[in-house]
Amino acid sequence: MRQTEWVLRKTEERPEIAEGTERDDGGYDLPLPWPLLLLAAATVPGVVLYFGGRWMETPAMEAWRTVCLAVTVQALPFLLLGTALSGAINAFVPARVFSRILPRRPVLAVPVAGVAGVVLPGCECASVPVANSLIGRGVTPAAAFAFLLSAPAVNPVVLTATAVAFPGQPGMVVARLLASLAAASVMGWLWLWLGRAEWLRAGVRHGGHQPGGSRWREFRDGFRHDFLHAGGFLVLGAMAAATFNVAVPRSVLDAFSGSPWLSVLFLAGLAIVLSVCSEADAFVAASLSGFSPVARLTFMVVGPMVDLKLIALQAGTFGRAFALRFSAATAVVAVLSSVLIGGALL
Amino acid sequence: MRRPLQTVLLLLSGAGLLRIALFGDLYLRYVKEGMRPLLIGSGVLLILLGLTDAVSSLRRREDGGHTGHGDGGHGHQHSSVPRPAWLLFLPALSLLLYAPPALGAYTASREPAEVAVTHEDDFDPLPATSPLPITLSDFTRRVRQDRTGAIGGRTVRMTGFVTSAGQGGGWFLTRIMISCCAADARSVKVRVHGAPAPAADTWVTVTGAWHPGGTLGTGSAPAALDARSVEKTAEPVNAYTDALPPPALGR
Repeated sequence: MRQTEWVLRKTEERPEIAEGTERDDGGYDLPLPWPLLLLAAATVPGVVLYFGGRWMETPAMEAWRTVCLAVTVQALPFLLLGTALSGAINAFVPARVFSRILPRRPVLAVPVAGVAGVVLPGCECASVPVANSLIGRGVTPAAAFAFLLSAPAVNPVVLTATAVAFPGQPGMVVARLLASLAAASVMGWLWLWLGRAEWLRAGVRHGGHQPGGSRWREFRDGFRHDFLHAGGFLVLGAMAAATFNVAVPRSVLDAFSGSPWLSVLFLAGLAIVLSVCSEADAFVAASLSGFSPVARLTFMVVGPMVDLKLIALQAGTFGRAFALRFSAATAVVAVLSSVLIGGALL
Repeated sequence: MRRPLQTVLLLLSGAGLLRIALFGDLYLRYVKEGMRPLLIGSGVLLILLGLTDAVSSLRRREDGGHTGHGDGGHGHQHSSVPRPAWLLFLPALSLLLYAPPALGAYTASREPAEVAVTHEDDFDPLPATSPLPITLSDFTRRVRQDRTGAIGGRTVRMTGFVTSAGQGGGWFLTRIMISCCAADARSVKVRVHGAPAPAADTWVTVTGAWHPGGTLGTGSAPAALDARSVEKTAEPVNAYTDALPPPALGR
């Protein structure tokens, strides 16, 4: 985020200084003579670029930029997959398909949608646009949210990665699958019980195919819009994750690995701020060898459901009022679910 | 954001991805090798999308007049892209013009040593070659987990980059490994004794023997090396792996 501010400031600086004669906060009461203005116009941009460049090349800033780009680059293909899929659902799949697949009663539709998450191979960035277009096609929001939460955690790619990262511990894979499905379903039901439509941004979605329009054009327009929209929020989330990544050294972890309760909460918090993609978080969890299995399970259940880049993506798609409430509730539910199921299975 | 600018942004993002994945190895600074086809695919897709966009808006302008306006109702819904979309210019331009380097000594120095080493119970006998090429993780495992103590007294060769040990002086031979992208970097470090520290982030191959201390084969043994020689080497293309040292030249 600091980087943006800097870039914005840099681009604004020139006109400001060139017109600086009328500003009172700079302390200039008299108009500056022209030669000075010209001199400033000639030197200030260079000086700003030079010192800005020097600052950008300090080791901390370089690490920040690398991590920020890494999160963005890693997530972009999956975001594209998700937006393409959501564009396709929007333009090509008639709404009645969903009403036929899902049970009519929302209470039953929620767990079915959670299990249906198995079919979306990818990480959490792909599931936000897809869930959005599901809502646009008339799927009840509770079921769409259950899908949104479970898809990144229970698809075959992620489960295989978990099995590879924890060799000889099939219990971990089973516990992850069950705890994620449970948390996703509970969140769906919670939405049925307490959720309010006004938390969702009004007109969440340009809905579906319009008669007379070209489906292909609609697909392309929806795709471009969704990608640019979600991509911006992805960058925002990546910046936040990079800031935490660089500002909080990993050695802080060791202080928390002793107490079982603190370590569960701490790894849940770590999953939120690190924003590791769900296809990789099993390896990260495996490397946190000082922590109990339940704490590591919590890391893998919370990570795909709540993290900084996901909150940013959700805020962009569904609105801020929704993203904050939903993420907070999800974090609590996911921690409880992994403690209960992990405690029973691990 | 205006429509033409959106098109430019799509093209720039696609070009940035293609630049790091298709026209070079820069993507290895951020993600794993396996991501390459996905990144190239995404780049091509974004550029195609940008081009069809440009073509269709040009065509619309040529048609001019009422058809363009009639379309406006449709365009409106989608062209309201929110402000954060501007942020996409940062990674796009950064990938094209100002790609930051791979993580190095700064990141490694802030991590606890040896987090990245997994546990192993069965150790095969070491090959007889001397000096023995070995990875930093393998060396650490041998020193701290192999109860047969086979690594003691052997001459080994390892490659990594230099991380200074901070206020105590001395330095570590270091590797950073990633499981997915650079955000989940973990490091493995081996302390080097008996040689002055080269500049941080220099890639070197160190030949030497285990630096005795504690009980070999248990957690009390330090992952440390008495260096006999330290040679500079080129930075490997894929820096985020714990690879064996390159074959020695002129031996």
